[in-house]
Parts: sequence; C-alpha cells; structure tokens
Amino acid sequence: MKNEEILRVEKLKVQFLNREKLKFSARKTGRWKIVLDEISFSIIEGETFGIVGETGSGKSTLARTLVGIYKPKSGRITLMGREINFKKREDLLYLRKNVGIVFQDPVGSLNPRLKIREIIREGLAIEEKLSRIDQDKKIDEISDLVGLADSKLDSYPNEISGGEKQRVSLARALVNNKRILILDEPTSSLDVSIQAQILNLLRKLKDELSITYIFITHDFNVIRYMCDRIGVLYYGQILEISSVHDIYENPLHPYSSDLMNANITLETENKFDSQYEIGEPSRSGCIYLNSCMKKFEKCNISPPEFNVNGRLVKCWLYESGKL
Amino acid sequence: MINIPGVISQEKGLKSELLLVKGLTVDFETFDKKIEVLKDVSLKIERGEVVTIVGESGSGKSTLAQAIIGVLDTPPAFVKRGEIYFDGVRIFPTDGKRVKFRGTGINMVFQEPLVSLNPVYTIRKQLLEAAEIGGIPEKGGEREKVIKNTLTELMIRDVERVLNSYPHQLSGGMRQRAAIAMAVIQRPKLVILDEPTTGLDLIVQRKIMGLLLNLRREINTSLLIITHDLAVAANMADRIYVMYAGRIVESGTRGDIIKDPLHPYSLMLRDSVPTGYKESGPLKVTEGAPPDMSALPTGCPFHPRCPNVMDICRKNVPPLKNIGDVREVACWLYEK
Repeated sequence: MKNEEILRVEKLKVQFLNREKLKFSARKTGRWKIVLDEISFSIIEGETFGIVGETGSGKSTLARTLVGIYKPKSGRITLMGREINFKKREDLLYLRKNVGIVFQDPVGSLNPRLKIREIIREGLAIEEKLSRIDQDKKIDEISDLVGLADSKLDSYPNEISGGEKQRVSLARALVNNKRILILDEPTSSLDVSIQAQILNLLRKLKDELSITYIFITHDFNVIRYMCDRIGVLYYGQILEISSVHDIYENPLHPYSSDLMNANITLETENKFDSQYEIGEPSRSGCIYLNSCMKKFEKCNISPPEFNVNGRLVKCWLYESGKL
Repeated sequence: MINIPGVISQEKGLKSELLLVKGLTVDFETFDKKIEVLKDVSLKIERGEVVTIVGESGSGKSTLAQAIIGVLDTPPAFVKRGEIYFDGVRIFPTDGKRVKFRGTGINMVFQEPLVSLNPVYTIRKQLLEAAEIGGIPEKGGEREKVIKNTLTELMIRDVERVLNSYPHQLSGGMRQRAAIAMAVIQRPKLVILDEPTTGLDLIVQRKIMGLLLNLRREINTSLLIITHDLAVAANMADRIYVMYAGRIVESGTRGDIIKDPLHPYSLMLRDSVPTGYKESGPLKVTEGAPPDMSALPTGCPFHPRCPNVMDICRKNVPPLKNIGDVREVACWLYEK
C-alpha cells in the first residue's frame, strides 16, 4: 500500500426534488430532500473502503455521485489531485475513465439485447484510439481474469446465471484500466455460495490489478471480511470512520455500537431478546438524537467530527478527543 | 393446552408432532417436459419448535412451503406422492373432504407480501379481521389496541398512517411487516415464513425475530422459517434442514449443522459465510452453481461441485440415512 490519497470528498451535498411536496411548488420550503449532507472522507490508494448503512442512508446515491450519474449540489471531489467540475465534459470523462462501478442488480444493469462480448466492449467506448482487434484482445483477457468462460461471450444476458452476470458487470467495469472500483451491494442478490465465489474473485482481482475498492453494503459479515476501513452512513451523514478492527471490536459512535450489537453471525446465539428503540432521524441537533441511548444536553447541537486516535467520530461524547 | 393426538397418529403410535410431512414428491409439468421439484421430502415439526429450511434458490424450499399449506399452482405443479399431517389430522390428501387448517392452524407469510394482503382493503380492516380470527374480543376497542401494539413492536413509527393505507401505498418493508403482523395476530399453532427478513434492515430484522420468538414463548407456536441466510438459521432454529436440488440432504440440531456439518454441501454453505477479517484468507467454496432442475446430473445432484466425490456418487443417488437421534444425512461418505 502506497499510503497516498487517491480520492478526496469534501463537504459533498446531494439533494433530490421531493416528489410528494412538488404538488405545492408555490411553497419553496421542503421541496428538496437532502440525501447526502456535507459528507467528507478520503480514500487511500490500494485500500478497500467500506460504506455501511441501512435503507435510505444514501449509500447508493453516494456511489452514483462518485461516478457522475448524479450531480452534487455543493462540495468538492478530488481524484488523484484533480478537482472534478461536474459541469465540464473533460472532467466527467476523466472521472469515468478512472472510476468504475458495479451495480447491485445484475439484471437491470446489462442490456438484454446485446451479447456479452458487446456489453463488455461498452466499457472500452471511452478509449477512443483502440482498434477493434485490440479491443477483442482486452475483452478476452478480462473475461479470463473474472472467470467467464469463452463460450459465454456470445450469449445474451438472459442465458447466463446471476453469478455470471455479476462477473460480466465486473469485466465491463475493469476492461480499461480503472484506478477505483465502486461496488454497490455487488453480492446481495446472489446465493450464499455464489456470493462467496464473487468475494474470492474480488480479492483476487484486487491483488492482480492493484486497484482501490469502495465497497458499499448492508451486510456486516461481508464488510468485515472485505474492508480495511469503514465509514458508517446514517441518513446522509457519516457518523464514524474507523479501521475495520477498531469498529468491530470497539465501536465509538452509539449508532455503530447499536449496529454491531444487532449483527448476527454463525457464532452468536439467540440474539433476539434485547430491546431496541429506533426513532426517526432528528431534524435538529445530532441526527441520531431520537434513537440514542447515551444522549445528553449538548446533543441538541449538531456535533462536528472529532478525531479520536485517527478515528473520526461525529458525537459529543468524544469531544475531548480521548476514548 | 391439552394435547389430544389425532386418530392417525394414534394408529401409527407417533409422537405428537404438530406437522408431519411424509415422502412428498412434487412435479412441475409443462407441455414439453416434467421437472421433479421436490423428491421424497419428509420433515416433522414438534409443538413449540423452531425449524428452518436452508438452501439456495431453486432448491425447492418455497415449493415445499406452498405444498404444506396447499397453495401450489396446479398446473404446473402436481403433488405426485406424499402425505401431510397437521395436529393429528391428515390435511393432504384429503380424499375430497374439506379440512380447515389455515388461519389459526397454519399461517403463512409469503416472500412477496403483496400476496398475503388484499389490495382493496386498508391494512386496518385486514388486521382487524385477523384479530377477529385470533379470538380477540371486540368490546372496549381491544382489537384496535392489539393491532396497534403489534405494529409498534415491529418498529413501525407512524402506525396510524400505515393502518389507513392500502397495501400499494406502502413500501416493501412496511408491507412485509404488515403481513407478519397479520400472521402473528391470529395466534396460529404454526407460522411458515418464507424468507421473512430479506431486504429488511438489521435492527428491524431482529425485532421481527424477537416478536416471533415471543409468540412461541406465550402460546407455544411452532415456526417454520425458510431462508437462505445461515446466520438467521444459526440464531433462530432448534433444528435445521438443508435442501439441495429438491431433496433434503441433511438435517439435525442447530449445533449439528452449524458446528459440525456432515454433508459436503452443508459444509460448503457454512464456509461460504464470511466470519473473519480480511486476513482470514479466501473462503472455501468450489466453483459451479446449483444444477438446472430440468437437467439434473446422474447420481447425487451435488457431485459435480463436491470436493469428496467418489465413483458411486456419479451413479447412484444416496438415500437419506438416520444417524443419531435427530440427525439424517444423504451422502455416500456416511454409508458405513
């Protein structure tokens, strides 16, 4: 690992038009729903950075913003020293050339009317100078690497299994040399044994291509197995960023620790007795205020990020910077 | 509750199993081919027992559940052989008689919650009906109270809005919880849950499981949970059945299956679940995918993926053998 920063995200804010409120468009308030609320993090070259969060936390929005599908309202994204201006075509091309993405739904992300070979070729559209022969060479190389049989290259997506579809998505994302690959729940629609195959493959690809992963999932067993560092996302805010060992053995933020407690593994037994109260995200003060067991007066003000031994925690409990 | 064994179980001298499935075989018949989706499946559930069936997609788990509760789509599905007894009464085949067992007997929560909910009634009306079936008295707004409590326990924040909604107005997670509430309120003897927690958040998932286990504690309800998530099985089940390609390949207590699986497929399933950090090395899983049910390999259906494959596995299907008290395995390795 080179310990060099490859991607930096600063105060990224993404908002969507609130469709329910749109009917009353005369009233300006409440028209926008803030999906990502000024989040910041940076990613080191060669690591696997995990993002965990529950439904509606903004995980997928973050993934899509990082490849330029959604445009941020404000904030900065710096990729290998170059700041991305989302209004400039060159910058977007630069972003897409270096950052690949694999989506959760392997069915929806493959064009049903193209053969597998052509689907993978789409990933090369950005490399304009490549001749068709060179393209074919690259396609064959990458399909070998992701374990896709040659015979499948001439099939259509409906003729192959879910695991193979996800391999095609990987091949398409990696067919030109990407530096970062975003994996948005890449295994959650797969069977357990197929999931294990894909996880093994992802680890092998990372070793061979020396690529950086951003791994988004809600599965705590998968994220522990895959990642070096983890960011915990809750309704558009990152509440904690820690190394994977730290967060599993000693979660700092009350939300992280609630999540870790709720996680079940093969070793746990009958963890269904304890009580949980989960309220709605708070509109003022700390976002986790309504559900937090450890809240005190200060929590009515939104906490900044505190640095505790290199871990970032958004909670007043760690104001002193000590554990 | 006094347990009165039914006529049939008295005859055969059986223990008082709540549910007994014997040799169930289900075919899917289409105009050009016949697919054996379930082959000789036998299982039993005791009163107050939590049983899970684990397996991957296409293993026949959902078909088994639908066959038990009698809602298989016929055609294409035909039950070829087998008997099902519930609470001492034969519920399949019934020889043309009507046997009432759904509702307070067996209740099922389907994987797709829209199936359990009526699209033209509000959730309130449907839950009130469930409460009526569950024998909750009407006076004093007792039913209303029960349905509100149940929904609150399932971590639904805006109970009133959910109650006034029609199913299509709710999100998938909400519908799922409404369907589970409907089953729980009827206080049945057996609840069958088909992938009850897929797509739900961790903490909600735990709440639902807690609610179901409470029901068992209160009125000794049995649960049959169908899942692909071994972690759920490891935390909920008293006993686990492992299915592969329409057959039960192993069954045993939770400890047996999770800590000491015998069948190579059960072992592979367990090893597929990541349990450690990055440093723990690659997961032990062989390449390949579950077989196409219309073109099953000869012999043991797992043999093309099995690391311990022998000659006999390619030729003959291993029978399900009893080894130990509550343990069965179908594998030639344990034939001695």
